[in-house]
Amino acid sequence: MAAWVKGGAADADAAIDAAAALLAQARMPVIAGLCAELSAIRAAYGLAGAIGASLDPIAGPSLYAELGSLSRSGAMGTTPAEAIGRADALFVVGNAPWDRPIVASLAEGGPTRGRAAGAERTILSLGGPRNGATRHVAYPAEPGGLAIAIAHLRACAKGHLADETAYHDLARRLFAAQYGVVLYAAEEVGEHGVEMLQGLIKDLNETTRFFSLPVSDPFQGRALLQLSAWTTGQAPRVGFGRGLPEHDPWRFDGARQVASGEADAALWLASLPAPRPDWLSRLPSIAIVGEGSADATADAAEIVIAVGVPGASAGGAIWDERRGAIAYIPASGHAAERDAAAVIEAIRDRINAGTLAEC
Amino acid sequence: MSTLTLRAAPPERLDLLRVNPLSLSGLSVAEASRLPVGTSRRGLLLGDCFTLALDGSDTLTIEGGSDRLDRVGASLSGGHIRVVGDVGQRLGEGMVGGTLTVTGSAGPFAGSGATGGTLTIEGDAGDHAGGAAYAAKAGLDGATLVIRGRAGNYLGDRMRRGLLVVGEAGAFAGSRMIAGTIAAASVGDHPGYGMRRGTILARAHGAIAPSFVETGTHDLVFLRLLARSLRALSPAHADLAAGALKRYSGDLATLGKGELWVAAG
Repeated sequence: MAAWVKGGAADADAAIDAAAALLAQARMPVIAGLCAELSAIRAAYGLAGAIGASLDPIAGPSLYAELGSLSRSGAMGTTPAEAIGRADALFVVGNAPWDRPIVASLAEGGPTRGRAAGAERTILSLGGPRNGATRHVAYPAEPGGLAIAIAHLRACAKGHLADETAYHDLARRLFAAQYGVVLYAAEEVGEHGVEMLQGLIKDLNETTRFFSLPVSDPFQGRALLQLSAWTTGQAPRVGFGRGLPEHDPWRFDGARQVASGEADAALWLASLPAPRPDWLSRLPSIAIVGEGSADATADAAEIVIAVGVPGASAGGAIWDERRGAIAYIPASGHAAERDAAAVIEAIRDRINAGTLAEC
Repeated sequence: MSTLTLRAAPPERLDLLRVNPLSLSGLSVAEASRLPVGTSRRGLLLGDCFTLALDGSDTLTIEGGSDRLDRVGASLSGGHIRVVGDVGQRLGEGMVGGTLTVTGSAGPFAGSGATGGTLTIEGDAGDHAGGAAYAAKAGLDGATLVIRGRAGNYLGDRMRRGLLVVGEAGAFAGSRMIAGTIAAASVGDHPGYGMRRGTILARAHGAIAPSFVETGTHDLVFLRLLARSLRALSPAHADLAAGALKRYSGDLATLGKGELWVAAG
C-alpha cells in the first residue's frame, strides 16, 4: 500500500500514525470528499464523532439543491425502471442529464406497461444542448438561466401568462402526456429552480400524471445521504464539535471553513474518483485516495495514503444509478492491502489509544 | 447596563444563544462565565473569551464584535442588545421581542424566523437576511429588520410577515415570499422569484423575471400607509413609497398575489 508523509514515501503504519497525530491536535478538523464505499463513509462518521470533526461531502451542492426544496414543498418522484416502463413523455431540463445512460435507455423504446403502454415516447428539452444523437423537441432557456425559464414555463402552464413565447407550446405538450417524467440535475437547476420544477409537476398532476427523476450526482451522494440519515438523523453536513451531530449546511461548508480560517486540519476521502479541491493545500491535510488514481501522489496532501478502489481493488457498497439503490460491487482484480475503512478505523484506534490534545 | 468585552478574536465560532439580558439577569459573574459558548471539542466558556460586567439590567452591550459570533440575540424575548462590531450567522434568529442593534455587519440568515422586535444592522448583511434557514418554516416572521448597508442575495427568502428595510439588496430579493413587506433602495436581478404574496418596493432593480407583468401606475391608500410606517425607520424609503410608482404583479408561476413596486420613470 503506497503512502507518503510530507512528500516522502512512508510505510502505511507510519502514515496512519502521522494522520492520527495531526487530527488529534486539531481544534476543528474537517472530513471532506466522502466519495467512497459505504464502509469507509461509515468509518469517517465514526472518526468525526470521536474527534469532534465536521463532515462535508463533495456531493453537497447537488444534495442540498434537492433537499432544500424537498424539506419545504416535497417532491413527486419515480424510479428509472418505472420511467422506462411507463413514460410516454420525457422532459429533459438543462445540459447535465444528457450525459447519463438513462436518456439513451428512454430514447430507445416506448412505454410497455401502464396507461400509456404502446404509445410513442416524446422527448422534450429545456435549455439542453440540442443533442443530435437523440431525437427531441428542444426549447431554449431564458437568458436568466434555467430557474427563470422554469418559472416562465410554469406561468404559461397555469394559464397566467398570455405572451407569444414557445413555452405555451411546450406546456401543451406536457399536459398531453399520459405519464410524463422530468429528468434534471439538481445542482444545475439550483434549489429555487428545483422547487419551481416540483411545483410545475404538481400543477401537471392536476390534469395528468407527471413525476420527477433527478439524476444522481457522480460522487456517491445518494448513498452517503442515506448513511448520514441512519447514522446521525441528519443530512450530511454535520459537525460533532459539541459531542452531538449538529446539522448546519452553511457552518459546515468545508470550503468556507477553510477560507475563514476556522478549520485547522482536513481529511480528504476519495477512494472513488473525485476532483480534489484547491483548498486542501492551504492547511495541514490527509488524503485517503484510490490507489492508481491521479491523486495518489506525494504532493496531494501532507499525508497521503492510497487504498483499494471499490469495484477494482476492493469490494464495497456503492450507489447504483441504474437501479436507484445501494448495491455491493466486488473487486474485479487483485485486492489491495487495505481499504479506506480499515485505514480510517486504524487512525481512530491510534487516536483513542493516545491522548487527545489538551485544550 | 451589562457589558461583555471580547478580549481577542475567537479561535472558533461561538454560539451566543444562551447569552441575553434575561438569561444573565439572575447570574453572578462567576456563574455567567461558565456558560458554554464554544462549538468545538475544546468546550470554550463565556469567561474564556469575554470580560464580564453584569448589573442585572435589561440592556446588554457586547463590545468588540466578530464574524464568528453566531446567534447573537437569538430567541430574544425582551430588553436590548447592542453589539459594537460585527456578528456571525443567525443574528436574532427566532427573536420574539426587544431590540437588537449591530454597529458592524452581520453574517447570513439575520432575523430568520423572528416574530417580533426590531433588528438594526448599521453595516452590511450576508445572504438570506430575513430568509429561512434550511428546513425552517419561514424567514422573517413578524419582526422588523433594518439593514442600513448592503444585503446579499436571497434577502427575505420565504419571509412570512414583518417589515424589511434595506439599502441595497442582491439578486433574488424576496424570493419565495409568503407575505410581508420589503423596502429597498435597490434590488438585484429577479426580485420576488417564486413569491406568492407580499410587497417589494424598490427605487432601482435588475432584470425582472418574465413571470412578472406590469400592471400600471396606481395611487393607493396602502402606499400612503406604507410611507407613513417607513418614515420613522428611513425617510428615504418613505419618500420612495410616497412618490410615483409602477406596479408589477407576480410571481405568476405561483399564486401570483405578490407585487413589486418600482420608481416610475
